[in-house]
Amino acid sequence: MMTGRRQFLALGGGLGAALLLPRALRAASVEVIEMRGTARGEHIWFAPKALAVAPGTTVRFVNRDKGNSHTATAYHPANFDRLRRIPAAAEPWDTDFLLPGESAEVVLQAPGVYDYYCIPHEMAAMVGRIVVGRPGDPGWKGPAPATDDVSAAVLAALPPVEEILTLGRIEEVAE
Amino acid sequence: MKFLPSLLVTALLLATAPAFAHDERALKAAPPGEPYVQVSDALPLPEFIPGLGTLFVDPKTLPAGPFLAYDHDGKLSATIYMTPLEDLQNGTAYDGLGIGSHTVSSVDIYYNAGHPGVDKPHAHIVLYHDADAKGRLAE
Repeated sequence: MMTGRRQFLALGGGLGAALLLPRALRAASVEVIEMRGTARGEHIWFAPKALAVAPGTTVRFVNRDKGNSHTATAYHPANFDRLRRIPAAAEPWDTDFLLPGESAEVVLQAPGVYDYYCIPHEMAAMVGRIVVGRPGDPGWKGPAPATDDVSAAVLAALPPVEEILTLGRIEEVAE
Repeated sequence: MKFLPSLLVTALLLATAPAFAHDERALKAAPPGEPYVQVSDALPLPEFIPGLGTLFVDPKTLPAGPFLAYDHDGKLSATIYMTPLEDLQNGTAYDGLGIGSHTVSSVDIYYNAGHPGVDKPHAHIVLYHDADAKGRLAE
């Protein structure tokens, strides 16, 4: 399920209530992934580039890049006929282009590994990975194998699942 | 050999012909009119891009441009070219490109990882048309 900025604003009161929940429950509520870029656009990235979350977490993508637009688009045949790199049981999503300050949300329910990319910046390896749940969870699907559908640079930019689960979140080194 | 100086002048004029292929005065203030379109009207980009300003381009000239860059007051401040590095490496040359103004105070060249309209990693070549232009386009 994906919600746009306007829908999110309408849900603002509910979010405020959620932030008051105990930490263990809050962890499965909302996580923010920012789209970032340097002033001249030499470098662009998702922050964090990798994240471990509990099933049912809402992930909010926010464009914090003043001079560029970005998307967060799941690798899935429904999105430009790309090969699937999210669990088969998961809903594919595409935020469409987000201008500076805009945001969109997606709820990730199916356990497994989700890879996504920014449409205009995939060639610059602006990709991200979200791990939902842990290996052994019912229906868990591990990372998709390497294919010709994605470049070597993209594959190299996706952190190993074990590292994501250990650290919880991984930031871009060049940040 | 009296014809030689005039031949040289003719050759120079021909060599710089693209720079003369427009009414420079018509481009001084936004909007520049046809065939230029505002980039933010055609692509998902901010109307004013920090560092580049409000951009207009003739779609037929993509990806290189020229992109005409205007400040917040609609004054032509820079002419910008965007040249994909892969294309240059593969032998593409961008010759005889137009220019928004014949007055150039300084030039910046830097790498850009891509954006809607020019997805491939490319170089931005920015010709500023007056000393204060960079500051006016900054924010």
